[in-house]
Amino acid sequence: MILVVGGAAAGKRAYVESLGYTAAQMADSTDMPRVGDARDERRRLAAALADGRPVLLNLHELVFAHPSAFTETAAATESAAVTDSAAAAEPNEPAADLFAALLAKEVITCDEVGSGVIPATREERDAREATGRLACRLAAKAERVVRIIAGIPVVLKEA
Amino acid sequence: MNILLTGGSANGKSTYAEKLAAACAPPVYYLATMRPYGEESLAKIARHLAMRAERGFRTVERDVRVASFVPDAGATVLLECLCNLTANELFDNNGTADAFAAERILADIAALESRCENLIVVTNDVGSGFAGIPAAGYSASTRLYVEILGLLNATLAARFDLVCELVCGIPLLLKGTPPPSFPRGTP
Repeated sequence: MILVVGGAAAGKRAYVESLGYTAAQMADSTDMPRVGDARDERRRLAAALADGRPVLLNLHELVFAHPSAFTETAAATESAAVTDSAAAAEPNEPAADLFAALLAKEVITCDEVGSGVIPATREERDAREATGRLACRLAAKAERVVRIIAGIPVVLKEA
Repeated sequence: MNILLTGGSANGKSTYAEKLAAACAPPVYYLATMRPYGEESLAKIARHLAMRAERGFRTVERDVRVASFVPDAGATVLLECLCNLTANELFDNNGTADAFAAERILADIAALESRCENLIVVTNDVGSGFAGIPAAGYSASTRLYVEILGLLNATLAARFDLVCELVCGIPLLLKGTPPPSFPRGTP
């Protein structure tokens, strides 16, 4: 997976296009259906992500739309659940794992939302925190991490 | 040579830009784009004018339409800064956005490029907050400003010779090969 980060309007989509991906291959988080705050929010989000399109744009929008699905607590619960199911030797169900659904993408773009003024509300601060932590987790697993600034790609990690 | 300097606020972009400009052959122009508002900004401008006069810079003020400035031959022009120019060109006094602002700014800067030996443009990485997110409560006009300035930054970076990001006063070279006379940024 290639993780593309950078400020808003820095040229991330143009970089993805330069890799050869077409608009039809790109899912945009702003167009993803809201799955509500149901108990199985993470599972339904994972299912929505598994739409066959290799690119996910604007991951930060998905986090801001579903902050509870992306908190550290949710991630920890998920890890525990994955371990439990492995222990029970149940067949692995990829759609159940939101993080795995993200890793299954070939390219993900995410805005750098951590700079600038600290947001005024708790909700915004939590979503901003969740976005940054998620990007760190994805970057750790990514084959390549690229930061776009003024349209210029700077490779931060190349496995 | 055309140089774009970007980065967050208070990371030393202007200091480095002035250092770069001062290393160039005269005439060196400081093209100021800030629209003066009130006593505080007027005092600040007066202080900066005096500081730059000591360095041999000639100050020119254009808060819009920078192409109306025609420097003497062989000039180095330091445009400070694209953020103010964009805000001035994009919004009128009622805050109404002008759909042609980006095209106009790019054409004006292209005219400047053709008229000077060196053009140094200072901008800002305003997209690295969370201003781009509708849910974050920023106004539509702020998000438009982030979009337009991002587009201008990428367009200028694509055609300029050198692009640097300033971090804690340290220039990170993003594009191009600096000439041997290029000053180091570290204080």
